[in-house]
Amino acid sequence: MAADLKHWAGKFKSLTDSDATIGAMAKYYTCTFMYDMGDAKVIVEMHDGKVKHINTNPAPLDAYDFALRASAASWREFGKPVPRPHFHGIWAASFREDLKIEGNITVLMQNLRNFTVQFELLRKCGVPV
Amino acid sequence: MARHSPVTGRYVTIEVDGLEYKVFYLHNGKGTPLVCQHTAGCHNHQWRGLLEDEEITRDYNVIAYDLARHGKSDPPLNVEWWKSEYKLTADHYVNFITTLCDALELDNPIFMGSSFGGNVALQLAMRHPDRFRAVIPVEAADYAPGFFLDWWRHPHVNAAQVCASGTWDLMAPQSPDMDRWLTWHYYTQGSEVFKGDLYFYSVDHDLRRDLDRIDARRCPVVMMTGTYDFLTPPEVTENTARRIKGGIYIEMTDIGHFPMSENYPVFRVYLKEALRIIREKTGG
Repeated sequence: MAADLKHWAGKFKSLTDSDATIGAMAKYYTCTFMYDMGDAKVIVEMHDGKVKHINTNPAPLDAYDFALRASAASWREFGKPVPRPHFHGIWAASFREDLKIEGNITVLMQNLRNFTVQFELLRKCGVPV
Repeated sequence: MARHSPVTGRYVTIEVDGLEYKVFYLHNGKGTPLVCQHTAGCHNHQWRGLLEDEEITRDYNVIAYDLARHGKSDPPLNVEWWKSEYKLTADHYVNFITTLCDALELDNPIFMGSSFGGNVALQLAMRHPDRFRAVIPVEAADYAPGFFLDWWRHPHVNAAQVCASGTWDLMAPQSPDMDRWLTWHYYTQGSEVFKGDLYFYSVDHDLRRDLDRIDARRCPVVMMTGTYDFLTPPEVTENTARRIKGGIYIEMTDIGHFPMSENYPVFRVYLKEALRIIREKTGG
């Protein structure tokens, strides 16, 4: 499980750092967020459009700006190449499915363009749950 | 040789509820007027595919206007509009559309709108069934709560990007990247009005107890919704259509809340069917 998670983190970092759409407006895309996928949790630290670090074993007091929490089943839908309706984005899934967006949502909104693009990279690398 | 589009644009000045508007509209085609309303916080380029559709414009005079405060239609010119918060009401929206149709001397037009344009199409069918040949409410419902949010023009965020990326997953992942990003681009341009538009969409528009006042036998109502629309999911539109006397519902597969803009080739298949139904029912 730990090895799988680290392997996934490497793929997600590589896809993010090489993504042209994020790269086109990378400056100031700086924030820290958690993907809470039920069985697996990661904290992604972004700095100027690049992944600075992915914490694959967060401790209880490790900090982040905001979190996306949903069941593993929902994350598996997010990670499909073409997700089903209502699993095709964080707005759709928070309005219609079990996704909860918690924490400092202002930071999410300040970074919404790139965060949205990056979230869709899950369709290429899948999810570790 | 210049590569001109057959689409042309004009301005017309109208007065609505004491407010003077200089309204911009694009048009192309001849025949039955087909008046098109863009979605909230957007403008008439969403209808770019339809405006240049050679087959449809052979028989339909397509008119896609910018609602006041959107695109090239300025806010009212005779009041200090910047001193009050913009909140679009159903009354004013309906009056704007009927006044514009009168100014353009349109004879018994079909009205089509998407999202908040679809919801106002239902309002038109209820309030003015004898003035419209038919209405095509796209991505519409009797009631659409939940989108009147402060985030759309919050001073601590880049509102242009919040409006554009906040509506991103209203579109289907199957829709072409170019068209989804063009729609995103349009949405960066309307952030000052998006929230005020959504006052109509999510608050003032509430026909849950009024659908029996719409008679689609007098003014045909053909509702169409895409399967990737999470704001008005297909079942919500279908339930609305079922409660309208004579209402018709068409489900659009693998498309979202901005169908005419995010994937026109798919949308036009369903639109042609809607127009066929209307011709059958009205003879025109």
